[in-house]
Amino acid sequence: MRTAPTTSKRLRRAALIALAAVLLVVGLGLTGADIAGFGPGTALAQDVADAPAYRPAPQPGPGDYPRVAGVNSRVVVWLAAQLHLWFAAFVLAVPIFVLIIEAIGMATRDERYDKMAYEFIKVSITAYSLTAILGGFLLISLIVFYPDLMGYLAGIFKDSMFYYALMFFVESACLYLYYYGWHWLQGGFRKWVHLTIGLMLNAAGTTLMFLANAWLTFMMSPDGVDIAGALTGGVWEAMHNHLWNPINLHRFIANIAFGGSIVGAYAAYKFLSASSDAEKAHYDWMGYNANFIAISALLPLPFAGYYLAAEIYAYSQQMGITLMGGIFAWLFIIQAVLIGTLFLSANYYLWCGMGRSDGAARYNKYVKYLAVVIIGAFLVWFTPHTLVLTNEELKALGGPYHKYLGPLGIMPAKNTAVNVMILFTSLSFLMYRRANKIATVSWARAGNAAQAALFSAGILNLLFLGIYHGYFTNTAYKVAASVPQVLTTLIIIIASNVLDSFIYRGARQVAPLHWGRIPDRAQYALFLLAVAFTWLMGLMGYIRSGIRQHWHVVGIMRDNSPEAYTPTLGYAANVVSLGTILFMAMVIFVFWLSQLGAVRTDAAGFWKERGA
Amino acid sequence: MRTFLAVVSFSLLTVGFFAAYSNYGIPQIEPAPPPEVEELDLAAMSMDEFVALGARLYQGRGTCTLCHTELGGRAPLLEEAAAVAAERIADERYQGEADDAAGYLYESMVAPSAYVVAGFGKSGTGDTVSPMPNMATGSVGLSEPEIRAIVAFLQDLGGFEVTVEIPTEAVEEAPEEAGEPRPPFATPEEAIAEFACGACHKLAGEEGELGPDLTSIGARRAKDDLRRAILQPNADIAEGFEPDLMPDDYGEQLYAVELEMLVDYLAGLKGP
Amino acid sequence: MRRIPKIPRLLQAVLVVVFFHAGFVLVFDYLLAQVIPASLLTMYMFFVVVGVFMVFTFTEDSAREMVAPIKALVEDPSKRRTRNVVFAIVPLIAGGFAYNHMLPRFEAPLELRSIHPAPPSSVKIGDKRYNLLTLENPFRETETQDPERFAELVAEGAAIYIANCQYCHGDKLDGKGPYARALNPTPLNFQDIGTIAQLQESFLFWRIATGGPGLPDEGAPWLSSMPVWSDFLSEDEIWKVILFLYDYTGHRPRAWEQG
Repeated sequence: MRTAPTTSKRLRRAALIALAAVLLVVGLGLTGADIAGFGPGTALAQDVADAPAYRPAPQPGPGDYPRVAGVNSRVVVWLAAQLHLWFAAFVLAVPIFVLIIEAIGMATRDERYDKMAYEFIKVSITAYSLTAILGGFLLISLIVFYPDLMGYLAGIFKDSMFYYALMFFVESACLYLYYYGWHWLQGGFRKWVHLTIGLMLNAAGTTLMFLANAWLTFMMSPDGVDIAGALTGGVWEAMHNHLWNPINLHRFIANIAFGGSIVGAYAAYKFLSASSDAEKAHYDWMGYNANFIAISALLPLPFAGYYLAAEIYAYSQQMGITLMGGIFAWLFIIQAVLIGTLFLSANYYLWCGMGRSDGAARYNKYVKYLAVVIIGAFLVWFTPHTLVLTNEELKALGGPYHKYLGPLGIMPAKNTAVNVMILFTSLSFLMYRRANKIATVSWARAGNAAQAALFSAGILNLLFLGIYHGYFTNTAYKVAASVPQVLTTLIIIIASNVLDSFIYRGARQVAPLHWGRIPDRAQYALFLLAVAFTWLMGLMGYIRSGIRQHWHVVGIMRDNSPEAYTPTLGYAANVVSLGTILFMAMVIFVFWLSQLGAVRTDAAGFWKERGA
Repeated sequence: MRTFLAVVSFSLLTVGFFAAYSNYGIPQIEPAPPPEVEELDLAAMSMDEFVALGARLYQGRGTCTLCHTELGGRAPLLEEAAAVAAERIADERYQGEADDAAGYLYESMVAPSAYVVAGFGKSGTGDTVSPMPNMATGSVGLSEPEIRAIVAFLQDLGGFEVTVEIPTEAVEEAPEEAGEPRPPFATPEEAIAEFACGACHKLAGEEGELGPDLTSIGARRAKDDLRRAILQPNADIAEGFEPDLMPDDYGEQLYAVELEMLVDYLAGLKGP
Repeated sequence: MRRIPKIPRLLQAVLVVVFFHAGFVLVFDYLLAQVIPASLLTMYMFFVVVGVFMVFTFTEDSAREMVAPIKALVEDPSKRRTRNVVFAIVPLIAGGFAYNHMLPRFEAPLELRSIHPAPPSSVKIGDKRYNLLTLENPFRETETQDPERFAELVAEGAAIYIANCQYCHGDKLDGKGPYARALNPTPLNFQDIGTIAQLQESFLFWRIATGGPGLPDEGAPWLSSMPVWSDFLSEDEIWKVILFLYDYTGHRPRAWEQG
């Protein structure tokens, strides 16, 4: 369908103007930021004479924390922050993979991708305003309950906070253009414009997240200030503090995995309530892709986590030990259970998905071996270092240390286990992809042998690194082994996928693939993935904040409020559970809203008749 | 609707499982409350108590044992720290200014990079920068007497005579908070107890002897005299008592209502 | 050729779970002689059950086959009697399980404690401070230099042991003295390769001299009823007992690692 040339030209010009305008705003935002002293000290040096000196951090006493409406201020701020974060993660992540899916659709000229991308963004659009509302609620709660802290932070980050607010206009403009212009900007050049707007939307969103990350990492690893908390080194140093980039990376990846899992839950729900086969097929396909996104982002996430933990150690050993060896040690057992749940449900979904074609039955018998290895690795992974023993067991063991289970409790064993788990999950995926195909290339046999060799060598290498460096060398090498292990895993995943794509080039399909032929159980696996992810994010958000212990800004501004103590893990888990339930309720509301626009009620007889 | 309820109950069950595991599946450890800022009464402290204080700080608030421990090897063990101090000072890598063991130990806590034990430096710095934070600042934030107490503990730990001196006064008190003025006292008894009038005067059940007996002062003095005696104690010294003993800044310490309350109270004391 | 009847799917699943449970118990409790803690076994089994569920239900056929007996039990009119029996037994089992769990017990509540905590680097006994990192048995050298004197010292140590220690630790040093059964934690068995053979003499000196009350905080709550022997024995006497412990059991103290 072609529009008249004049209309087309006008549209193109309008799009270009819009593009230029948005670019200008972004550009101004960035340069403005630079002028205000983001660049190390350029502006500061100029007006250092008449600039007001930065004040040191206030030291509020127990009485300086307002009590409002009889609520526990920590829990209110905690929940507000967590809910805001969940929604923010969701609305930041969706545009990232929507853009990628759109681009895939554009490259392959497969319209299904475009439709799916549109549906994804449609789901997130209502969540966007909820994110802003929760952000406002969080801000007001912080100002009401922690006025001194917020005054201090605003004093240091006043520029970036202002630009943060301005960036919202940019992001909103991009988002609305991107969403409402979806069907308008179709085909050829217009698609490119649309894609560019999507890119800017992501740039704006990611910039927003990075700005906010700087404030919270400043609270964990303050920089650019003297010991009293007065700014000395410039705002850029305060922002570019030690943990900023590790948190940025970790959150960026985790957001994508989280967003994928939420969209997967949406697709699962639509699948379960679908009435026609076509609808089922569509939502099955959507759920599969969402799961694929979530898992692709989940696989590198442990590595980003190691990086973050290593940087926390590097910043402060004390904080690192509090994190891993102190009161929070048991939290990592809970985390292990949750991440195990994520891996197990993702694998289960893949296995169930093999039922979509008749050709996959050939591979069914291998699933049990995969299961044994994955569950085995998982059991190793969550074996705690300190065992909970009854007195009788204590007596029987003659002490609290278990000769054989004890060594499984320390990091080398866990690193090895998680790498094996990741490898086998990728193997599940490889198997799923092969399930319905028969390779036709002449060297298929050799290729398969190479794959087998690759995986065997990789696993042997993982085990060797873990066991040798973990148990037969002195302590210094134990941590060092994790880097080659991670590299091994990554190399195998990439190499095996590349190799497979060559082996199965032009492969023959065994039987037709039936989208929608998947048991309902598999959809529940997708729900499990979403719920576990949400809960896990809440838990890890707690520890990220909790390792500051009784400090607002570590080492600089002490938290003297009555709630400065560190709660037990059970208490934290209860707050996280409450938050998860609230979040799910809101998400259900959002999803319901997203399909409400299409619902029409025929109110015949309500409106007065107009003469025809 | 059925699907909706099924999905909701499934999700709630999942959340419930996670919460239950966190509450009952793992031991609940009650973390220690945030450390109090201890007030030190240095004047009344013997050397043994000072060493014990250092040991408490070393194991507790100073968080030294997190790193200085046999496990992990993150930092050198300190049993021999006092013994090797002289060697260290003589070492050419030594950057500090101490000239004795106590000074060296003190310096190692406030300027840890002055001497970095081989193998324990921040990675990539070739043992020139210590990963240890300054103990006087940051999240540990020990006061000078507290750091000295740790020096005393370390000397004792090494089996040496403790040469560090107990500071006679708290050198650097935390800056006084400019915050809230105190609320006024509600009763004269409270004010008398707070300002310890009974330490010198016979009053309110106390038997002080440095100042005049006030149990029947109301019978002898008028209110105006009493007021002046509180505000300007040296203007009129009762017979048989030393001048300049009573502080003359009660005018600044008392609120006007409290002064009047006290005067009324004293004027009402007419003896048994 | 006889056909082996196919085991029903549901039974297979149950058997696999039972197999893993028995496997854990067999391997840890019997083969390795290190019991697997009940709390850990519960979690292990939970995830084994999850794994079995995953493997047995990921194809539609297998899931249907597995659920079929349950479905039949609930829906098939001909199975009425079995159904009634099962529906009576299941709540009873659950009730019995709950009852057993809630029943008050004699066992003390769980405590996280470590019996062999890391020793402090030095310890003050009386007025003297001992550096446990460098402390050595002053009589150890007689073993090579003056075997006769060494034999004498061991004999003295034996006499001290019999007079003081054997009531709990046993006259065979196997932790089975007359009083041993009354104690929890049980007295250590010195014959076991996992006790004094793994320790340095200075560690023994520390544990003997300061006893249960001398356990560091990480060992708290100290339940050990070991007395503070420095109140009763001299330093030399403790060292002699230590000589005897190693000599009688034939163990060697762990040496300082060279380098």
